[in-house]
Amino acid sequence: MNRSLAFLSVTKSFGKTLALDHFSVEVAEGELVSLLGPSGCGKSTALRVAAGFENPDSGDVMVGESSVLGSPANERGMGLVFQNYSLFPHLNVRENLEFGLRVRRSSAAVRRARVTELLELVRLSGLDDRLPHQLSGGQQQRVALARALAVEPRVLLLDEPLSALDATVRVEVRDEIRRIQRGSGIATLFVTHDQDEALAISDRVCVMRSGRVEQVGTPRAVYRYPATPFVARFVGRVNDLAVVVRGVGIVALRGSTSGFPVPQSGPSSGDARLLLRPEDVRVVGLSDDALARGRVEAVHFGGATTSVDVLLTPSNQTVRSTDATRNVRCEVGEEVGVVFDTERALLTREP
Amino acid sequence: MMSGRKLWWSVLVVVTVFYAIPMVAMTRFAFQRVPVIKLSWSNVFDKWTVAPIGETFADPNFRSSALLSIGLSVATAVLTVLLLVPTMALAHLRSPRVRRWIEVSAVLPFVVPAIALVVGFAGAFRGTAPLFIRNPYGMVPLLVITALPFTHRTIENGLSSIDLRTLVDASRSLGAGWNRTIWTVVAPNIRGSIATATFLAITVVLGEFTIASLLLKNTLPLYLAYAQGQNPQGAFAVGLVLTAISASLIGITNGIGRRSRR
Repeated sequence: MNRSLAFLSVTKSFGKTLALDHFSVEVAEGELVSLLGPSGCGKSTALRVAAGFENPDSGDVMVGESSVLGSPANERGMGLVFQNYSLFPHLNVRENLEFGLRVRRSSAAVRRARVTELLELVRLSGLDDRLPHQLSGGQQQRVALARALAVEPRVLLLDEPLSALDATVRVEVRDEIRRIQRGSGIATLFVTHDQDEALAISDRVCVMRSGRVEQVGTPRAVYRYPATPFVARFVGRVNDLAVVVRGVGIVALRGSTSGFPVPQSGPSSGDARLLLRPEDVRVVGLSDDALARGRVEAVHFGGATTSVDVLLTPSNQTVRSTDATRNVRCEVGEEVGVVFDTERALLTREP
Repeated sequence: MMSGRKLWWSVLVVVTVFYAIPMVAMTRFAFQRVPVIKLSWSNVFDKWTVAPIGETFADPNFRSSALLSIGLSVATAVLTVLLLVPTMALAHLRSPRVRRWIEVSAVLPFVVPAIALVVGFAGAFRGTAPLFIRNPYGMVPLLVITALPFTHRTIENGLSSIDLRTLVDASRSLGAGWNRTIWTVVAPNIRGSIATATFLAITVVLGEFTIASLLLKNTLPLYLAYAQGQNPQGAFAVGLVLTAISASLIGITNGIGRRSRR
């Protein structure tokens, strides 16, 4: 696949803060890539650099095979949707959608046809004459998306477009964005701090930290095979257990003597942290060959999945499991055993 | 102890009386054909007439100075908006430091007396560009500066009340250049502030005396000062009309402000 948008070792600092540090990522044609990270990790700066609102200190931004750094924001042909409601408050829906077309001097007939088409695309036909303040938040963001698409941009940049919306509307608009993006086949960069959103919507996720790329991969890969402890902790839930390394590939929970095997990477002695997904922790009966035992502290019923928190004895740490064996009684106060599936666990010294 | 409400009312009454007495006195003096010395409660309703306005309007000197003042008002208002809106919008987006600098220089007219401004202006341009001083419209930049404390504040409030960065970024990403962005996206969203700034500039120009007097330009306030000697009733009559116009401009402004906030 051809690449549509590429950051090549982009560095950008504001005063003494380094917002982007040799940041590189590519978005292929038709692909949706999320930039995911905590606030201040540089993800929004990356998007603003691509859009032409900030100039990088070094590095290059390519669209197709040519650099766009020489062109001002209004000549880059990128569609943007913002976190804040960005529709022009003094223009109605139709006029908002027509804005970019007017700038390009499209004829009235072309504009009319395009507006009708776009409103159908975002399922808001008939709202042409509404002013932005007469629309709900979700409708506003859908119009904003349509407005960005109106000029048929080469790249779509979405800057946390869902974060101002209510939880239910957020999922709805998120799926809408994905449907439209798939349909139009436009290369899209999606900035978010919400890992559920990133995992649900993306072809690939780029996890960022302090202006650098920690890992780029499919949502499944980033979740199942986190490259660094930071990724493991930031993407999805993880059990973060204090352990003592007994030897190469053998650890024991802190305060406990029974060792168990872990992957052989990571520190080979001393105190460490073991990062383990809740689905890799199984709650078993006491009679089974449990790796550790403890008391059920809380049960969170979540419909399809139920999670169980177990306070381990004697190491006095709580571990969460989403994999309770069906015939084990999981009620608060019950004594149970747990088994760890450490095949994909990460062992690290990073606190 | 007076309750808050009573206090509020008594302050309002005192202030109203304080302003109303001279206004009523002026009105009676201007529009009643009764010798001043005989004005009393007994003849409040006698011999009212609007003739003094007509007499003043008939004076060709009045007409020329009124036209000049109107022209200066419009020119000042237009130049104010053309200068302030783009400059201040860019300062908002680009540089907080420049913004503070603009803010400080905008209140300078409060500190620097108009006479110093004119002396400096005349001294600088008499030798280099005498036309600038001779032409009455040469004072427009000075009037813009004089109105700056008021006009700057209103535009500043307007720009602070909207999500300027998002609107500008959205407009630019859709292909619009700076000019188009400022005048078709930013300006319509602060139209209330622009209208207020315009009216304030007009009111300042209609009342400005020092600059016009020192530069020997026959504006309306100068005419009124001169006419007080010739036709005092006519001068006061026109003065009252001007006050009424200014007051209604402020009223309209408030209306616009309220509507655009909704």
